[in-house]
Amino acid sequence: MQSNRLGWILLAPTLVILFAFGVLPFVYVLWVSFHQWNPFAVDPTMVFNGADNFRKIVFDADFLNSVGVTVMFVFFAVISELIVGYFLAQAFMREFPGKAFFRTIHTLPLIMAPIIVGSVWKLMMTPSIGIIPHYMQQWFGISVNIGTSPFAAFTTIIIMDIWHWTPLVTLTLIAALVSLPADPFEQAQIDGANKRQIFWHITLPMIAPAVVATVFIRLMDALRTVDEVWMLTGGGPGSATRFVGVHIFKEVFPKTNYGYGSTISVVVLYLTIVVCWLLYVTMLAPRNTKKG
Amino acid sequence: MNFALKLSASVLALTVAASAVFAQDAAWWKKAAEPYQGVTLHGVTESSPPSNYIREVLAPQFEQLTGIRVDVETTSWDQMFDKAIKDMEAGTGIYDMVYIEQDIIYSYLARNFLTDLTGLLADKPELKAATYDEANFTTFANYFKDGKGHLYGVPMEAFIKIYLYRTDLFNDPAIMAAYKAQTGKDLAPAKTHEDYTAIAKFFYEYGKANNLELWGTTVQGHTGHPASWYEYFESVAPTFGVYNWGIDANNNYAATVEHGGTMNSDTAKKALQWWLDLRQYAPPETDQSTWTETGTTFGAGRVAQGLIYGENAGWIAADAEKSLVTGKVGVALPPLSDGVMGAAEAGKGYIGYYDGGAFGLPATSKNKEAAALFLQFIGQNEVQPDWAVAAPRVTNTATYDDPKVVAMDAKLGGYYSMLKNDGRLFAGAPPYPFHAQLREATAPTFFKILTGELSASDGLDQMAAITEATLTELGYRK
Repeated sequence: MQSNRLGWILLAPTLVILFAFGVLPFVYVLWVSFHQWNPFAVDPTMVFNGADNFRKIVFDADFLNSVGVTVMFVFFAVISELIVGYFLAQAFMREFPGKAFFRTIHTLPLIMAPIIVGSVWKLMMTPSIGIIPHYMQQWFGISVNIGTSPFAAFTTIIIMDIWHWTPLVTLTLIAALVSLPADPFEQAQIDGANKRQIFWHITLPMIAPAVVATVFIRLMDALRTVDEVWMLTGGGPGSATRFVGVHIFKEVFPKTNYGYGSTISVVVLYLTIVVCWLLYVTMLAPRNTKKG
Repeated sequence: MNFALKLSASVLALTVAASAVFAQDAAWWKKAAEPYQGVTLHGVTESSPPSNYIREVLAPQFEQLTGIRVDVETTSWDQMFDKAIKDMEAGTGIYDMVYIEQDIIYSYLARNFLTDLTGLLADKPELKAATYDEANFTTFANYFKDGKGHLYGVPMEAFIKIYLYRTDLFNDPAIMAAYKAQTGKDLAPAKTHEDYTAIAKFFYEYGKANNLELWGTTVQGHTGHPASWYEYFESVAPTFGVYNWGIDANNNYAATVEHGGTMNSDTAKKALQWWLDLRQYAPPETDQSTWTETGTTFGAGRVAQGLIYGENAGWIAADAEKSLVTGKVGVALPPLSDGVMGAAEAGKGYIGYYDGGAFGLPATSKNKEAAALFLQFIGQNEVQPDWAVAAPRVTNTATYDDPKVVAMDAKLGGYYSMLKNDGRLFAGAPPYPFHAQLREATAPTFFKILTGELSASDGLDQMAAITEATLTELGYRK
């Protein structure tokens, strides 16, 4: 009992902070989402409008487009980061000259703020002064302009995200790979399993919890990507890179559409939870059930 | 001279000024500031040459004079608005001074965000400095007044968006001859849109033929930033005779032709198409250019002409540290359609954008009196000339006649003279309290026009309809 009470006392500051800065704001956003509220409207007060905002969102082409663009971005970015991150992790598991140096270099993008990453890539991608369009033109004869080509803008953002966040995946997977016991691998080799069989039947199942945790983190981060995109394209050209985070920002801040912007935030949070839950159920729950 | 040197020179000049001009008033400032010792004023503004001058020169000078510390936070345009609006909306009172761009003042007044400076100084005459007088300001100050003529912001920068051109190219005999041979006309700053296009096309082809990094014109054509929206609505459409974004505020805020607006009129569509077509003669960075990048492009010597914000004209024309075209810049009025100049002179229209901003005092400030002292300090005639030389902006009538400003005017190709004589032909943003809201509602469609997803005609039809729907939702359109 004494230990239990002490535990709660020690936890109390954290719980208070979480409640004040996590739960209360969420409840407030939820409350606002059921209102029409724009402080620059003729009537600047909050007016309760029931589920109207939620009804409107279903027919909001701009929002649906932003969700579509975001889902595509998340899919390509996270999958790519997982694959590249795994191979890099495997590479870093082996010894080679300059390993420590490369590992440090490889981790550097992680410590850069997203807004800086966006700025640097903007400089690299601006026609006439950017190094990437310059060499793409000089070496391959390809004209790259993220101001006019939706494909170029979208692809650049995916590459930028991969460059920025793959090190996180690599580090997580290195930690998982290092902790694997040697016995199952030795046993599999004795039994004649090839590399592909070892990967699918031993390595992957054993690192699955780490993979899922990494995917969760990257998925949630990618779904709320704003800073880098804001700096690089501003959501353009057109609405080609108007991800849902950018859409919410524009709705809530410049448009000061607090009510509807809150509704979008709540719906996006709900979608994020559903996606993560689906991932959990498909990748980890069967494994846990078998254990039970 | 670069900005740092100008600042140093200004600090020196102001130090001298402080000892000479302000000597007689120093005692008054000290006494007026006595009750506010220990106060630190906080301001937020856009990072621009005029704002940096306040932070680097005027704020320290004021502190030296009064003992009141002033911290001015300079940040990006969107962050500045974000911070100021959040502070004033939530009533936190973090800021004692906020930058008010001309186009946002109506929104701020509608929300009672600002303190009536005229009223405050009338109510507290002990705060009124003898060297400060609202009558000293140019007519630009009228944008910051309410219906009763009370001032809500001390003007700190004012400029017009001008037609800037390269005098070295326009006056080159060989180029002039080639242009004459090609078009049958003399090469001179364009008076009409057709001539402007012809000049843009000529220099684009001239650059290609001579393997030069030279294009025909700037276009502020970012495909994801409101800068492009602004260039069309505030700098291009008016030159064709489409004013106030094509919205008729006196006719139930109509935007569509069907309801009496002009946003999707044939003239508006012609204006937009003209502007879109200019992009073929503009440098590749155009599709990612905001107002900053067009200035940079011009300063890098990459274009022969362009519509450029006056705040950039100074460094482009005179700062050899940043510009490759110093001494090679001329200014002119933008090209116009028939009848537009007449309408502007009659006060029924305008030919371009008159932008700028003021420092306002939030109603939520906890240090209103001390802030009022600082605002008066930066509004005095005495501090203006050095400020105008360091960062091209004129807000007080007397500034135009100062010898330093007259000398600077020559370097700027007559920009200050144009501001003084023709400034009345330009206009700020229309007095809409829904400025940002409407811009953001229509910008996505505008960006689709820029990328070619929509034609100019269909896009403007959609934008006009969206405008009316948005204004209905906000309660302005019945």
